[in-house]
Amino acid sequence: MNLEAALEEIGKAPTLESLQGLKVQYLGKNGLLTQEMKTLGRLAPEERREKGRVLNEWKEALEKALEAREAWLREQALQERLLQESLDVSLPGYAFPSGGLHITSLILQELVGIFRKQGFSVVEGPEVESEFFNFDAINMPEWHPARDMQDTFWVTFDPGPGFTIRGPFGESVNSLGGAVLRTHTSGMQIRYMIQHTPPFRIVVPGRVFRYEQTDASHEAMFHQLEGLVVGPDITMADLKGAISELARGLFGEEGKARFQPTYFPFVEPGVQFAMWWPERQKWLELGGAGMVHPYLFKAVDDYREQQGLPRAYEGMTGWAFGMGVERLALLRYGIPDIRYFYQNRLSFLRQFRG
Amino acid sequence: MKIVYSWLKEFLPDAPGSARLEELLAGLGLETESITGLTAPHSRIVFARVLAADNLEGKEVRRLVLDIGREVQVVSGAPNARAGMGVALALPGAVLPDGTELGVRKIAGLESYGMALSAKELGLGEYAGGLLEFAPEALPPGTPLAEVWGPDEVIEIEITPNRPDWLSVYGVARDLAALGLSLVRPHPKPKTTPLALPFGVWIEDTEGCDRFTLSYARGVRVGPSPLLVQRRLYAAGMRPISNVVDATNYAMLELGNPMHAYDAAFIGEGLVVRRARPGEKLVTLDGVERTLDERDLLIAVKEGSQTRPAGLAGVMGGAEDEIREGTTEVALEVAHFDPVRVRRTAKRQGLKTEASYRFERGVDPEGPPRAADRFMELLQSWSEGVEVAQERLDLNHTRPPQPISFRPSYASRLVGMDYPEATQREVLERLGCSVQPSVQSGVWEVTPPSHRVDLGLEEDLIEEIARIVGYDQIPTTLPSFFPHPDNLGVDAPYEATERLKQVMAGLGFQEVLNYAWSSPQECELMRAPAPSVYMQNPQTPERTALRTALYPGLLKNLQTALAQGEEGPFLLFEVGNVFNQAETPRLSALLLGDAVPGLWQKGLGGGFFALKGLLEAAARNLGSRVRVEQEVAPYLHPGISGAVYWNDQKAGHIGALHPAIAAALELPTVFLLELALPLRKGPGTFTDIAKYPASMRDLAVVAPERTPYAEIERIIRSSAGERLEKLEIFDVYRGKPLREGEKSLAFHLTFRHPERTLTDLETDAFMQSIITALEQQGFAIRR
Repeated sequence: MNLEAALEEIGKAPTLESLQGLKVQYLGKNGLLTQEMKTLGRLAPEERREKGRVLNEWKEALEKALEAREAWLREQALQERLLQESLDVSLPGYAFPSGGLHITSLILQELVGIFRKQGFSVVEGPEVESEFFNFDAINMPEWHPARDMQDTFWVTFDPGPGFTIRGPFGESVNSLGGAVLRTHTSGMQIRYMIQHTPPFRIVVPGRVFRYEQTDASHEAMFHQLEGLVVGPDITMADLKGAISELARGLFGEEGKARFQPTYFPFVEPGVQFAMWWPERQKWLELGGAGMVHPYLFKAVDDYREQQGLPRAYEGMTGWAFGMGVERLALLRYGIPDIRYFYQNRLSFLRQFRG
Repeated sequence: MKIVYSWLKEFLPDAPGSARLEELLAGLGLETESITGLTAPHSRIVFARVLAADNLEGKEVRRLVLDIGREVQVVSGAPNARAGMGVALALPGAVLPDGTELGVRKIAGLESYGMALSAKELGLGEYAGGLLEFAPEALPPGTPLAEVWGPDEVIEIEITPNRPDWLSVYGVARDLAALGLSLVRPHPKPKTTPLALPFGVWIEDTEGCDRFTLSYARGVRVGPSPLLVQRRLYAAGMRPISNVVDATNYAMLELGNPMHAYDAAFIGEGLVVRRARPGEKLVTLDGVERTLDERDLLIAVKEGSQTRPAGLAGVMGGAEDEIREGTTEVALEVAHFDPVRVRRTAKRQGLKTEASYRFERGVDPEGPPRAADRFMELLQSWSEGVEVAQERLDLNHTRPPQPISFRPSYASRLVGMDYPEATQREVLERLGCSVQPSVQSGVWEVTPPSHRVDLGLEEDLIEEIARIVGYDQIPTTLPSFFPHPDNLGVDAPYEATERLKQVMAGLGFQEVLNYAWSSPQECELMRAPAPSVYMQNPQTPERTALRTALYPGLLKNLQTALAQGEEGPFLLFEVGNVFNQAETPRLSALLLGDAVPGLWQKGLGGGFFALKGLLEAAARNLGSRVRVEQEVAPYLHPGISGAVYWNDQKAGHIGALHPAIAAALELPTVFLLELALPLRKGPGTFTDIAKYPASMRDLAVVAPERTPYAEIERIIRSSAGERLEKLEIFDVYRGKPLREGEKSLAFHLTFRHPERTLTDLETDAFMQSIITALEQQGFAIRR
């Protein structure tokens, strides 16, 4: 065989397949070089050694050439493929849907998150509420002028299927008075205290309802966040601490809280709180708070006793707060109309992503 | 409540300007709603006396001759213009508060030298039905009104329902004085004459009325009140009527006790306070005939053995005995009524008056004598010749305020700051409380003043200390404690819901929150259960009941989105409560269009199996298993409807919206699901990572078209034995060589033993057992 010709042939092999053919042709079981190798046995030892050396050199040269050609061919193929496979990556990808939470959920999540960091638990309560929990038990009996502060949606039940308002232990509380769409989340203070032993700290997010004519700043349905901490030595300073932490959580280290006296039947002393919004350099009136009124502790203990539980709230002190959720969002984003929230226009909702 | 600044200043000579005052009031708990400036009238608006008022034939207007130091002629259409009255005249060149500039005008052919003004034109109040009337001698004619009506301010404050003592000018001044401002206490002293009282008073219901005073004056001449009084009444939101009525309102606004003046000539032997009889009728001052019952308290006139209703106690007087032009004798009632009774009567009658507003919150029961004196003093100072009887009937059944046991140490403990005892005592005394030591050390007996009807508990007094020392002094602390163990784990339902919402949002669904309202009509249209909770006072016809399902809300959202041309696809979800036989939480979700819409490529992920796939993805995310079995829900397409089993517990339905509903709502084909929450939790267990190879087989089952996949799957799973690790359907085939009405379901089955490699023989045996089970149920195996 002619080595020069073979090497040239290999160096020109156009495809990997033809290269494989050449490999078989020279180095295969019956390849030309293999044939030559087989003749070695018939030679005299001197000659055999010499020829063997030469043939081995040929073999190495062939193998090297095959390898080099293969590498070259592969590289070529790769380059060709890369050229062919190129995509216009600037085209948009598949439009996978991007979901999200409602703006109210997002704000609530943020508020609740700030309290959870402080060790608060989160619980929820019913929207159709007994007059007892919504009003009477929180020191707002029927004759109390404070009931005028909240225009109430009263509800009745269809006698056919009926409807049951469940108490803290699943018992029906339909007989405790009329039924309302809760006007605030404060009734949950009573429900929670009846069921649990202090000390504890909770927040309660939830929908509330007021019989109001709706306009840009009034909705008949909105959300509140309620907070309640009860223990043997809970103070008004603790309340101020918690509201300050809320302000810092919302507005950063310059956030702070301001307290002014006010009146709610379920707290004494009563507080109206505002938070300092450093970005806009103004106070935001966000809610009411105060020290839990002793009337509530008594109402809770009386209910507990009826249920066969020990009185647990004598000698306890506690604080509670309630704040509007939508209002914070309105102010923060400069939303001009509260009715946007529950019209559920997608072009509104899709702008808020958490 | 509107407070006139100059009036307040009469009691608080050192009162700061209104801006600082607003801060002080806020610190006390009085929120300022607005501060409005009262400007002095234009210098060309003067006092004038009407000399003549002549009717012009065939004209609506009259010609007035006015004295302003000289005579001028004005044409006026005011119905109350008459000779002898005092009026405000805007001279040519005067500018009215609304910007109108006056000149000499021709009206009805006559030259009118300016214009005589109503209260509205003067910018005092809303009343425009006639001229503002002054006493003829109120001022020298021609005096600019600005001389008596200087610049002033009206501070409108919001009064919380617990503080009726703030419902007066003096009451607000008194509270401000507790901050250290000096207070001028009112001591009205009318000149009295020993007169025999022509009437008596009897209280039949001392629970409804625990105090009743009746005072007497004669020689009264009814006429307009002084200019300053009229302006203050207007500024406080009341309309001046006459000196006698104005004096009752002025004294009430100043001191807080409502009162009522009767023409003494009409009250016969005197007044009786009693319960109304069922069906008894009374025409109140507003001209409305009211039917009463025994829950209402009446003031009645005693006429022999009979009594005639003369007023609804604490709410409104009767029309018959009111002060009229010719009244010369006045009987003045200043009383105290039970707050709850007044509130209930006012509510039943739909009557809210200045009097009922105050009585239902709580009026100072010790206030009537002073308030009556103030009325008499005003009346005497406003007109000459008024004789006030020395004697006054005063039936007093009130109980003095009860002392409250008060621990100064508790004040510090509850607020969380150290208040020195001396400070606490000083604050309480400045507020008018009497502070006495008690037999117990560390406990005081604190008796609040009679006007502070809100102070009944130790905590009420603590608020007073915190308020007067200042809420801004309270420090900030964070308590640390271990919650009682029965509070552990209370978050679980909230956390589960939040996690579910996150997963839904992560899969591409947009959360919506809909109103809780619905209506029977809507429920019927949407094939949702009929409502069981109805609104007693629905706002609109669409909001007469509470929703019984969530999907109607989502469908309405979709309608809106389509109408507004919002961009699809639409993947919406809501988590909220529904109201059937009880209030329960739900999840509902909806899909319209390809979940991944086509842009320059083809879209994908539409239809029932896209929504179901998303549901299955949600389940996997939540470590749960979900399966759907054929079952028809009323609101779904009967052929594309199934029950959803979440971790083997039935949770709700999934399917295509019923075409009849879609047609009614003009919606295209929509896929939706609705599940009851909470969803059953997944097992949450761990199985060790597989160490031995799996053994795979395929199986094709021929089944009638009607047989659901789930049935075949169940047979395979129940007959495969516990080594079946995974079952996947990879083909549903119809056509040759199968017969019409048949389908072939092809499965990949994966078997694995956790501790060793399965032999072919073992796997063959599992397969045989599956095949036998299928064949026993009548299904063929395709080989």
